[in-house]
Amino acid sequence: MAAPLLEVKNLTVRYSPKLHAPLNAVEDVSFAIAPGEFVGLIGESGSGKSTLANAILRLTERPGKIAAGQILFDGLDITTMSQDALRPYRWRDISTVFQSSMNALNPVTHVEDQFRDAIELHSKLRGDQVVDRIKELFDLVMIDHRFITAYPHELSGGMKQRVNLALALANDPKFVLLDEPTTGLDVVVQRSILENVRRLQREQGFAVLFISHDIGTVLDMSDRILIMYAGRIVEEHDTRDLLRDPLHPYSKGLLGSYADPRAETVRITYVPGRPPDLSREHQGCLFAPRCPEKIERCLTVEPQPLAIAASDGATGAGQATEAIDTGRPRVACHVAHLQREAPDTPGLPAPTKRFLGPEFVKSVDETAAAVTNEVFLEVKDVYKTFRTRRGFRVESNEVITGVSFELRRGMVTALVGQSGSGKSTIARMITGVDRPTSGEIVFHSKGGPLNVGRLGVGQLTRYRKFVQMVFQDPYSSLNPNKTLHYILSRPLKNHRRMSGEALRKEIDNLLERVALTPPGRYRGRYGYELSGGQRQRVVIARALAAEPELIIADEPISSLDVSIRAEILELLHRLVQDSDVGILYITHDLLSARMLADEVIVLNDGRIVERGEALDVIRDPEDEYTRRLLEAIPNPFADMPA
Amino acid sequence: MRYFLRRVGYFLLTLWAAVTLNFLIPRLQPGDPAEMMVKKLAGKDAELDPAKIAAMRAMLGAPEGTMFDQYVAYLRQLLSGNLGVSYNYFPTPVTDVIAKALPWTLILVGVTLLISFAVGTVLGALAAWRRNSLFDSIVTIGSTFIGTLQAFWIALLLLFAFGYILGWFPTSGGYDATTPGFNLPFIGDALYHSVLPAAVLLLLGPIGWVLGMRNTMIMNLGEDYIRLAKAKGVPDSQVALRYAARNALLPSITGLAMALGGILGGQLLIENIFDYPGLGRIMGQAATGKDYPLLQALLLFTITATLIANLIADLLYGVLDPRARKASA
Repeated sequence: MAAPLLEVKNLTVRYSPKLHAPLNAVEDVSFAIAPGEFVGLIGESGSGKSTLANAILRLTERPGKIAAGQILFDGLDITTMSQDALRPYRWRDISTVFQSSMNALNPVTHVEDQFRDAIELHSKLRGDQVVDRIKELFDLVMIDHRFITAYPHELSGGMKQRVNLALALANDPKFVLLDEPTTGLDVVVQRSILENVRRLQREQGFAVLFISHDIGTVLDMSDRILIMYAGRIVEEHDTRDLLRDPLHPYSKGLLGSYADPRAETVRITYVPGRPPDLSREHQGCLFAPRCPEKIERCLTVEPQPLAIAASDGATGAGQATEAIDTGRPRVACHVAHLQREAPDTPGLPAPTKRFLGPEFVKSVDETAAAVTNEVFLEVKDVYKTFRTRRGFRVESNEVITGVSFELRRGMVTALVGQSGSGKSTIARMITGVDRPTSGEIVFHSKGGPLNVGRLGVGQLTRYRKFVQMVFQDPYSSLNPNKTLHYILSRPLKNHRRMSGEALRKEIDNLLERVALTPPGRYRGRYGYELSGGQRQRVVIARALAAEPELIIADEPISSLDVSIRAEILELLHRLVQDSDVGILYITHDLLSARMLADEVIVLNDGRIVERGEALDVIRDPEDEYTRRLLEAIPNPFADMPA
Repeated sequence: MRYFLRRVGYFLLTLWAAVTLNFLIPRLQPGDPAEMMVKKLAGKDAELDPAKIAAMRAMLGAPEGTMFDQYVAYLRQLLSGNLGVSYNYFPTPVTDVIAKALPWTLILVGVTLLISFAVGTVLGALAAWRRNSLFDSIVTIGSTFIGTLQAFWIALLLLFAFGYILGWFPTSGGYDATTPGFNLPFIGDALYHSVLPAAVLLLLGPIGWVLGMRNTMIMNLGEDYIRLAKAKGVPDSQVALRYAARNALLPSITGLAMALGGILGGQLLIENIFDYPGLGRIMGQAATGKDYPLLQALLLFTITATLIANLIADLLYGVLDPRARKASA
């Protein structure tokens, strides 16, 4: 590697909040980025990746503080430099694009002004020269010049992000930090922005640190990958080698959450458990509690991120601390090192490329059986028009145009579409919250057919016993101040009139069904004490409590960490297998649709554009829009042998 | 443009509703002003002579006819600028009574409000920028503490200390032996008399602005565009002014415009305590004396002023915040 542009040495960032125990959100992190290099950093929520990003930009705010280590930029130690001394380098050498940037532009000034201060502060350009420069930059990201004088709220989400990218390049920086730059944008938009980034990076030669929790895009974009867990870098590896031979069990877990959706049988793994609480004392490897490959040593000695010895054995692990520059992969795992350097160590598990933890399997055979089940919900030629009153004028907006489909018992149907495609509106009509403008929705309950759009208030309450929802964000759909017992008792009392001992037993039964075992340990706990995955289990248990015939799951995994998504998918899958409940799975993600659903319905602009068995749609999409959606999915395994 | 027309439309509609309410409310109140007037002239315990009351009614021009007739007459009078004759200051027209008191209130309350706003906003912004510093603690805790005190209590305290014990300032009135007019001795005299009431208003006035500005600005400081501005290398003073304060000022500006409308209501308590010849004192007198025409005129005045202030706030907001223009256009 050439002389590094950015070098982070043993960096520790410590948070000392007044009300909580202090913790090191980033601990002893070292890595380097060469000029023009594109490096990806993968980390899930709470891994410390944003803390690290802020530290590199020297924007750490109280109660955070760089407690140890060094950050060198272009040979210059910026770790303790004063903000005033640092200012000339900002945006001239280091710039950034923040997370989905809805708010990164000052809402009350023109886009032009926000470029102008960035350019005038760091160059000699003035007046019209600045405008010319802005035009050049807008050309780079392919945005019409007329938006130069627009206000930020006049731009769409994707456009804002392009503008932010253009802004980051305003002074030809040497280094751009991308912190979740496309999170929250639609896949197709995301795709085009990332392609733009990669192209500009090749043309202009700036170095990039691309931070994201989205493994697929990071792998797709980067030359080299850093994987963070619990504030530490656990693996550093060339992207292609990482895909071929991941070293750290956590990396294997992350990669295992991806699979080729075109296969007959899809297997995805998940990492059970949750990340450690860093404010507590710990010993040994922080991943050990979740690790299927752990050995005794992992519980006592914390592994260091050391370079793997070259295959000729020229360098031993002990000498490798200075190995940032050697280009060899680094991993903080005893097992990975021993397997390569001392394979004869007793008790060592056999080397594996897969994550040995739990797995979720979906095969085509199940689908074949499900599609013949009894139809229990029919959506017949439904239209929905929203009217908005503006003064004396009424504007109408047709969001659903002639949609028909049916749902079957014991089958999962996925409704796939981007935001604005109308998928949530359909869900609202099926639950009876909204009524169709024309057409009808008929629910064949075990007690006879019901026309959902015509139900009165009392009937609707009874209808909701049959149809239950699982929402996207388990953090806001659970009352954090109530115990699980209370949360689960509500539907049991309201819909099933249960009380006393029967109620308590049923609550335990529900907790067991969603694998929160033993139930005694969870009954009295509060929502806020649980991890995201556990909360979503509670939400599912709550939906099950009413013994519904249909569960509508609206993006149930999209706010969860990648490594635990399959866990929720598997749970939903098992419910369908064990009972004859039907699931309408609403998502923007074709991949997860394939894993969970038997049938896929693709929705675009309020119309059904494609419909068929999940595997057929994925393998052989007929509609242009479906094809675009599929192409936009990052597929790091594309050029890998199966 | 549509945004502005729309705002003006709403303004006219509300104004009409206010004018109508202003007509109705006094008529729904119990008590007969003519009876009051006769009692006042004849002494509390005197017999009430129906003939005298009728005469008094006629003299005052008390309302006649059905409610609707009264309403029409009322609107017609309004349009011609005739708001009637004050019962208490008979036979001075209420417009004259108000015109005499208006400058006093306008200057006392208006000037202290503007100073309070400026001082409060600057202190609030500084406190937010140096959050958790000693300065911030002093400003925030100080404001909260003073804010719990009642205006009349502070007023009485000042009056007692500086008026009676020390005798530095006059204890009542707006001026003494000078001739009202634009002459130096009178202006000096008036200023001298307004020191104590102004002190009360200036002590309490900035508090709302301080806390409001500080809270909005702290919220704004957490926004991504602030972080981006810092990452851009924009100097701190500019981040504070052009990014944080500029955005945080928006709600305060609306508040200011509305408070300006409230000026005409005067400061009832303060003006009465200091016997200050402003609108607040007149209003108090009109309410106790059942001086309907004056009361009505004052209410109309304050309502119109508040509405105009609201309109200005809305229009200003449209200029200051581009998002507002679009959202409700």
